[in-house]
Amino acid sequence: MRLTRRRGSLSAVAATLAGVLALATACGGNDDSKSGASGAPAPPEKVTLTVDTFGEFGYDQLYKQYMAAHPNVTVKQRKVSTLDDYRPRLQQWMATGSGAGDVVALEEGILPLYMQQASKFVNLFDYGARSLQSNFLPWKWQMGMTPNGQQLVGLGTDIGPLGLCYRTDLFKKAGLPTARDEVSKLWPTWDAFFTTGQKFMAKVPKTKWLDGPTAILRTTVLQNAGAGPGYSFFDKNNNLVFETNPTVKQAFDTTLKFEQAKMTSDMAIFTPPWQTALKRDTFATLPCPSWMLGGIEQFSGSFGKGKWDVAAVPGNSGYWGGSWLAVPKQSKHPKEAAELAKFLTSPQGQVGAFKDKNTFPSSPQAEQDPAVSGAKSAYFNDAPTGQIFGTMAAQVKPVYLGPKHEDVRAAAENVLIAVGQGKVKPNEAWSKAVEAVKKAAR
Amino acid sequence: MTTISLPAWGRRNGKRPQYRLRGLWDASPLTYVTLIFALVLSIAPIYWMIVVATRTNEVVGDVPPPVTPGGNLGSNIGRLFDNPDAYFAKGLVNSAVVASSVTISTVFFASLAGFAFAKLRFRGKNALLLTIIATMMIPTQMGIIPLYMTMVKLGWQSHMQAVIVPFLVTGFGVFMMRQYAAQAVPDELIEAARVDGCSTFRIYWSVVLPALRPAAGVLGLFTFMQTWNDFMWPLAVLNPENPTVQLSINNLANAYFKDYTLMFAGTTVAVLPLLVVFIVFGRQIIGGIMEGALKA
Amino acid sequence: MVDLRPVRPDAEPAAPPPDHRHAKRRSRLARLDMKLSPYLFISPFYVVFLIFGAFPLVFTLWVSLYNWGLASGTREFVGLENFRFLVSDADFWHSVVNTFGIFFLSTVPQLLIALLIANTLSRRMRAATMFRIGMVVPLVTSTAAVAIVFTQLFDRDFGMINWLLDLVGVNPIDWQVSRGWSWVALATMVNWRWTGYNALIYLAAMQAIPKDLYEAAAIDGASRIKQFWRITVPMLQPTIIFTVIISTIGGMQLFVEPVLFGTGTPNRMDGGAVHQFQTVTMYMFDNAFIHDRYGYGATIAWAVFVLIIIFSLLNFLAIRRAGGAK
Repeated sequence: MRLTRRRGSLSAVAATLAGVLALATACGGNDDSKSGASGAPAPPEKVTLTVDTFGEFGYDQLYKQYMAAHPNVTVKQRKVSTLDDYRPRLQQWMATGSGAGDVVALEEGILPLYMQQASKFVNLFDYGARSLQSNFLPWKWQMGMTPNGQQLVGLGTDIGPLGLCYRTDLFKKAGLPTARDEVSKLWPTWDAFFTTGQKFMAKVPKTKWLDGPTAILRTTVLQNAGAGPGYSFFDKNNNLVFETNPTVKQAFDTTLKFEQAKMTSDMAIFTPPWQTALKRDTFATLPCPSWMLGGIEQFSGSFGKGKWDVAAVPGNSGYWGGSWLAVPKQSKHPKEAAELAKFLTSPQGQVGAFKDKNTFPSSPQAEQDPAVSGAKSAYFNDAPTGQIFGTMAAQVKPVYLGPKHEDVRAAAENVLIAVGQGKVKPNEAWSKAVEAVKKAAR
Repeated sequence: MTTISLPAWGRRNGKRPQYRLRGLWDASPLTYVTLIFALVLSIAPIYWMIVVATRTNEVVGDVPPPVTPGGNLGSNIGRLFDNPDAYFAKGLVNSAVVASSVTISTVFFASLAGFAFAKLRFRGKNALLLTIIATMMIPTQMGIIPLYMTMVKLGWQSHMQAVIVPFLVTGFGVFMMRQYAAQAVPDELIEAARVDGCSTFRIYWSVVLPALRPAAGVLGLFTFMQTWNDFMWPLAVLNPENPTVQLSINNLANAYFKDYTLMFAGTTVAVLPLLVVFIVFGRQIIGGIMEGALKA
Repeated sequence: MVDLRPVRPDAEPAAPPPDHRHAKRRSRLARLDMKLSPYLFISPFYVVFLIFGAFPLVFTLWVSLYNWGLASGTREFVGLENFRFLVSDADFWHSVVNTFGIFFLSTVPQLLIALLIANTLSRRMRAATMFRIGMVVPLVTSTAAVAIVFTQLFDRDFGMINWLLDLVGVNPIDWQVSRGWSWVALATMVNWRWTGYNALIYLAAMQAIPKDLYEAAAIDGASRIKQFWRITVPMLQPTIIFTVIISTIGGMQLFVEPVLFGTGTPNRMDGGAVHQFQTVTMYMFDNAFIHDRYGYGATIAWAVFVLIIIFSLLNFLAIRRAGGAK
């Protein structure tokens, strides 16, 4: 609580210090001068807060800080590895009214579905969140609110400005430049990226150019939508426009080109084969939003140490992913949960998460924090991730996603994977995808 | 003739058939070769599971594959119980609780009903018995959607009673106990007990149940096995954080599929209790299957 | 055979001594006990079945008439719309074909091999019990464990089976991607688990066949193979029908193996990128629990139920006819 009150002035360093300080005094009971500020004379009851996330949010250190500063609160994290595992689970909890954590992460693809049922979440405006608006990029703040502006469902965590991760060792083998600035110049466009890939595979035929169709499809769909109409599979009235939106077709064709040329390993991101492939020379590049760096580091591990770097994404714009934190009404401790969500999404919370797992802040204050803007990633060959992603984040244009966005996306991806496996003919891929997507959107 | 054909209990017993033509029934070397081949095939995957569970991940892709156990079983099991996503210890405890409650309840209620159908007189008995046989043909898995909705209404989803209560007694169990009771419990015993003034339940408890013990044992074993191994319904109704042991394995498969030693340590630990039971009671289980106990 | 004849009437309870009040009350109690106990004893089954077996089945039909989402909160009556959609739903029929394909690949070889093993086991031999126990060990392993172990064995790059194939000069097979091969892999899991069990059932039935039949045939000079097809198989007909029906009910509901086999797609209910091994049960589960279409899921459940009944009947008739034509 008291951390969030000072949010504006506290840098990450100070937050850590406060945590350490609180930790040191925790054994001595409540420190009067501090708890006085929160205006709670009675010793607060002990509560355990469960936080549901997927993938890497980079919250481990923040939980420790928060618990140190709030001795009555125990934070328990429940994490699943992929969004696809997380989605049905959350759906079950919300549908049945029990089982959800006190704080749940809503990714941009699932947020629209729950926006339709905002009544199942507490209104964060009731917990003093209204004053936090200036802490967030305007569009990130806007998307966390119900359309009528009455209820704040979620507070923004990260956004996913795009980069392109590549293996320097394999590039070297193929006689390509390895320095990230030169590498970025290799592919101003996706066509250039394609021809570079052909050159690469001519030299290193045993390694594929890309991981699979899923990452590149998501990247290009969102990139095109951001540069174009501001929506992708669904228009802003939630009509399915997969078939008629030219930016979708364009993204699909770009992806298909790589599949057709057999330049990908046909894997879906975060599936077991994909995780294993990161420990081998299976593929040389993958489009990576900032938050994916944590996953690559985790799965590539000691094998990939010193081998990865980040360059600019072809097309040089766009974002993918990013989440909000919400408090389901079923939580028994909505007040404490809202405080925790406020802390985790506060500028210094976002800075802390970025430092841990490269989840790029949705808070302008955090982005300007030297700990972010000047950040370098040791695992990625000291790439200036703060600068690379910061440049990208500055030009992000929000993309509207419909409530069935995730279902549609998964259906389209399956068709593209099947093309690579030789199970769908490339010239039939689009019509198959349109058909599958219509069913998924039902 | 009904479609369900259960060889009557005990038909196999009695006098051994007399072989007049020597040689017609004796095993040839080919018999042994065939059987040993089949035996190897049926044990090899289990053996492989144990071998991998005792190794390190590096050797799993080796050519040729490792065929002898290594020394890492302890550390793999340690990793298994330390794993934050599997909830393995919790899964084991939950499975033990669920399988035991379902087993005790099934054996009790099934033998009670089986006794009633076999030995007591009441109106509508045959029709009622027929309905039980009919229920055995219904694929109950097909009802999981409304069953799930029911659990939601009751607020039982993610609680263990959701995987216990619907399985407290099965038509199969009732029918099996009825078949056994019909021929294993002499009417005279029951009559004698009645003359002594025993209540019907008392008769069941002190006369019938002891006589049903062999069949009850087999039913219990199989109920335990089935409950322990159930997957789809727990997957639908329970949470990954409060799993049965099969769901713990599933948790692992979702996140750590390529960590084979961890996965296989999990499957080994999950299979082990049943394997032990099986080795101890192997003879009875074989008898149970062969005497038609399992023909649902 | 089910003996549905009434059990031999019990002897009438001993008549109570006429002029003893206490005894009279006791006898009234005893009569009440005799009357009510049977119903009391069988009622637990009916209570459990009605609530958790019959009701869901009927309720499934009700739900199938709705567009019913739990997460989205929609609940809109659509009549037979779901059934109409089902009939022309290519994905549904695709999953039906998959289910039947895997079913044939598992049931037919499984029962044939089981017959063969049973025939072998019926010989007089040493260590008979050991062999029998060995045959049914797979039964005690959990389906989830089997699926995981076999999925590793069938791994394209690091699986033992492709390695063995390589030894005999066969190119590696991509078991998960090819529709046919994925069926074979899944059928193998099912076969491995159930063959021994069926063999024991056949063995039990074989032992009930009078030995004189074989001896007479042997004296007439009939070969063992001839004896097997002319005596054993026809005599086992009821048992074979029984195992086929059990396999049908199990096969139509195949779920765990294909779910755990599908490691390549993010959604495990997909059964591969082009649903090459998605079974009907997975399709039902996917619609209801993953995509929040409980109404349509219920429709699929009913369709599967009807399919099982039709298919069991067809099996029954076919095998009876085959047996009767002899």
